[in-house]
Amino acid sequence: MSICTDAFVVPAQAMARVHGFPGYEFATVPHPIASLDPDQIRGLATGVVPDVLRILGAES
Amino acid sequence: MDASVTAAAPVTDPAGIRRAMDYYAERGWTDGLPVVPVTESYLAEFLATTDRDPGSVLLAMPHLNRQCTVRLAAINAALAGCRPGYFPVVLAAWDSLAAEGYPGRGIWQSTTGTAPLLIVNGPVRAAIGLNSRGNVFGSGFRANATIGRAIRLGAINAFGLRPHELDQATQGTPAKYTCCIAENEEESPWPPLHADFGLGRAESAVTAMVIRSCVHIEARHTTAAEQLAADIAGTVARTGALIHQTISACIVLSPEHARVLDRAGWGKPDLQRYLYDHATATRDELAAAGKEAISRHTRWRLPSDHPDAIPDDCADAGSPGLIRVLNSPDAILVVVAGASNAGVSAVVETFGPRGGPPPVTRVAAGNQR
Repeated sequence: MSICTDAFVVPAQAMARVHGFPGYEFATVPHPIASLDPDQIRGLATGVVPDVLRILGAES
Repeated sequence: MDASVTAAAPVTDPAGIRRAMDYYAERGWTDGLPVVPVTESYLAEFLATTDRDPGSVLLAMPHLNRQCTVRLAAINAALAGCRPGYFPVVLAAWDSLAAEGYPGRGIWQSTTGTAPLLIVNGPVRAAIGLNSRGNVFGSGFRANATIGRAIRLGAINAFGLRPHELDQATQGTPAKYTCCIAENEEESPWPPLHADFGLGRAESAVTAMVIRSCVHIEARHTTAAEQLAADIAGTVARTGALIHQTISACIVLSPEHARVLDRAGWGKPDLQRYLYDHATATRDELAAAGKEAISRHTRWRLPSDHPDAIPDDCADAGSPGLIRVLNSPDAILVVVAGASNAGVSAVVETFGPRGGPPPVTRVAAGNQR
């Protein structure tokens, strides 16, 4: 599965359509990430885990 | 344009033309400007200028499962306003872009916001009216304007690279509308670009590059080759262009600047060598911009206290703490273009190969009108 920042949701969805998966679901985190420090990155990663588990069907 | 000119224009239905333009625009088939309506009979005029199969692939983007064929290139050249006789140059441009390599790997979708630069050499320049002199990067010449635009419309229509969708450019560049120049071979003291790489002067060629910025050099004050070269080196070395360890550039010299160098006995290799040696930055200058190290993963520049940071492997430029921003003299290409009227040149910052021959691509003999 894929995780992207919210700034890239539209192009990510466009790529999914190109490859024949128009409903492909992405987990998203707030933009940006390139300029964050390790603690901020850890915070984003922690925050997105529930969404990742839900998309993978591992929540139940 | 005055009334007499308007009255002499071909009689047609203006409302019908507007409806056709709106039709194309509403389908997203334009760059924002109106396009020329294309019919099968008009398309046939473009395809008649080449022996190549309309279905043959010019450039593929495997990650998009999309290709630009000769037929698609012809449609977009016609939409762009090319005359049919320009099409052999458009085909060579696509071939050169494919040989360059970066566009096929997705660089046109990058947030950096690159565009193709096309440099045309040889007799085809005069045959189709390509501008190589004043305002060479500017407007005013149908062949320059529409050949460059043919590539942009191909990117939009063959590959679907529309902004806010598959084209993720943060800002882009004005060159994304069109960027096609001819070398001013007649006023250059040196052999033209295509001759540097094995073609004859009587042949025509297109050399494509991937560019972001076109930065101008104001150096009207000097007749000293080293002063001029130092001014250029200072621009090549600017930290803002350094996303990777090193950069590459095409130096587009005005004829006046080329002659300054030539009178001092410099050829293109001398300028390339000078820039390799003098396009440098100190570690402190890089550190001030937070770019003194590179990422172990992406190899993009970042500060040395970043968790992913490793030292770069840029060559030392003769004294400790002074590093080269070019990895070889071949990371610089030199062409001559523009008017012979001022000491003004340009550093075109390129993406892609840093060294090795550029994709100089022969223009097939065609029916150039």
